[in-house]
Amino acid sequence: MKNTETSSAPDALPRRRALGASLLLAAGLIASPLLGGEVLAAETAVSGKIPRLANGKPDFSGIWQTTSAADYDLEPHSNRRDAPPGPGIVEGNFIPYLPAALEQKKKNFANRETADPAAKGFALGVPRTVYYPEPFQIFQRKQDVTVVPQFGHAVRTIHTNGSKHPAGEAKEYWLGDSRGHWEGDTLVVDVTDFNDETWLDRAGNFHSEAFHVVERWKYIDPNTIEYKATLEDPKVYSKPWNISVILHRHREKNFQLIEDYRFTLDYDQYYPPKKP
Amino acid sequence: MKISVRRQNLRRVAVLVGALGLAAPLLAQVQQARQAAAPAAQAPAGGGQIGNEKSFPEIASGKWTGPRLADGQPDVQGHWSNTISNHSNFTDPNLGAPGDRRRGELPPREQRAPSRVSDPADGQVPFQPWAAEKVKEFQQYFANPIKPEYIEPLARCAPGGVPKSFYWHGYEIRQYPGYVVLLFNSGTRIIHLDGKPHLPENIKLWNADSRGHWEGNTLVVDVTNNNGKALFGRTGEFSSENVHVTERYIFDNSNKRYNYVATFTDPTVYTRPFTVTIPAKRWTADDKPNGWHFETNLANHDGKEKILERDERICTENNGGFGNTAVTAKK
Repeated sequence: MKNTETSSAPDALPRRRALGASLLLAAGLIASPLLGGEVLAAETAVSGKIPRLANGKPDFSGIWQTTSAADYDLEPHSNRRDAPPGPGIVEGNFIPYLPAALEQKKKNFANRETADPAAKGFALGVPRTVYYPEPFQIFQRKQDVTVVPQFGHAVRTIHTNGSKHPAGEAKEYWLGDSRGHWEGDTLVVDVTDFNDETWLDRAGNFHSEAFHVVERWKYIDPNTIEYKATLEDPKVYSKPWNISVILHRHREKNFQLIEDYRFTLDYDQYYPPKKP
Repeated sequence: MKISVRRQNLRRVAVLVGALGLAAPLLAQVQQARQAAAPAAQAPAGGGQIGNEKSFPEIASGKWTGPRLADGQPDVQGHWSNTISNHSNFTDPNLGAPGDRRRGELPPREQRAPSRVSDPADGQVPFQPWAAEKVKEFQQYFANPIKPEYIEPLARCAPGGVPKSFYWHGYEIRQYPGYVVLLFNSGTRIIHLDGKPHLPENIKLWNADSRGHWEGNTLVVDVTNNNGKALFGRTGEFSSENVHVTERYIFDNSNKRYNYVATFTDPTVYTRPFTVTIPAKRWTADDKPNGWHFETNLANHDGKEKILERDERICTENNGGFGNTAVTAKK
């Protein structure tokens, strides 16, 4: 998948954004009438006492999972052999692809059974880890939020210590580089420095290395997180677009992550040596 | 556009497959193993960047007088590593992997670092005869893996498992109420401190299932549900999925060192339980990253404090052996 197909897209925004620019984008989100209304409504809807760290910030520690069918397809879709139906989680229903990128998406969809990086057990990346249908665990300290997905081994750190994206040339991470800050009780995370290898779902929705995500994590009640994200990529999309999903806390007795290194199944059988 | 490591390797394998008409999966595995062999073989014997202590201090279990977290746990968070070589050789760490050509240049055994097997006294794993034969066979074919089972699983990006993760690259310890989390170069362990029961025993995992508690300066961890697949190193020692490990992480009150002391029990593979001891040291922002035991970056921020950060660890995605990170500078 790649940039030969999307080379007609306008040049990417400068990859090395100042944090300030990101904050502006985040601020813009709040100012938008639609989202602004939702944020307010959700804030008034918070019920119960949410967990907090010693410094008073919301504590998202716990094991979380969505019940949505988002990972099958972010866009609205009927049932098909490899997916249940779903209403989609994209605001406005459809992803605003540039024409060449839309063609690439269609190819990805046609080849999804083998081309989906998750089918190979690869790192899900951001934001897919959040709505993939397996649990992930959040561990939180004052200075960072650690996200450990059950599927795969790709541990993500969201830095909440006031640090900025790495200086110098942009990096190409599978998970991107995540810098968070608090706006009231909402954790706002700016994610840059992506590679172009991950997909957004198993329907072949994708991004380039110019991908930029701004996430907003907030409690609706002590066992429910509202997760919103704005996804931007001038090489692939004609404008930024938004997704929204609800995450539920696993409260089953003794529930825990069970590591899922799917990619080892191909050679699992060869170890350990067996008694003749 | 850059060519990623993954694409390069795929291409090389494809050419070989075409030329030799070999079965792709096995060849790809062999290819990976060979590629992976180079950097690791050079690293430990070269000294310099890899710590090569010939001996290390014993640390007694006892009171913890160092810093504590709000929940009462000793605060041992930060970056740590083994101090003696790596996973190339389990019982003779300085000797290098089977077939390593530099073996002849080394001092005699008594002047090299001790075996990681601290009990029994001969430093050998007390294998049952059939298991000893399997280890010998693995070593014989290590440099020429004519079957998939002769490839050290870490070379295929499998998690390092127990205990290998502790003498592979450096790692980070993070602590939370109820948990100690170990972020290794290949794999992650979540040690549960809340006393919940182990997983059902038919669930077997590369990094096993860990239940821990603190006794003064010592983190005691009960480890079950191990799939036995990770092997102990490039010398091929192993356990089965029946292995039961009791780990003791004994921290020095200086908070600069700890010793990992673990007892392995597996009546299906060994003739008796044995003990593994691995010394570890802390790395701080005052140390220079060295590409093996200490691999961190400094955070970009406005303050003066040096804050350590750790890149994501990616491996299988790159089709390259060992814990490569995916990070490449853009052109």
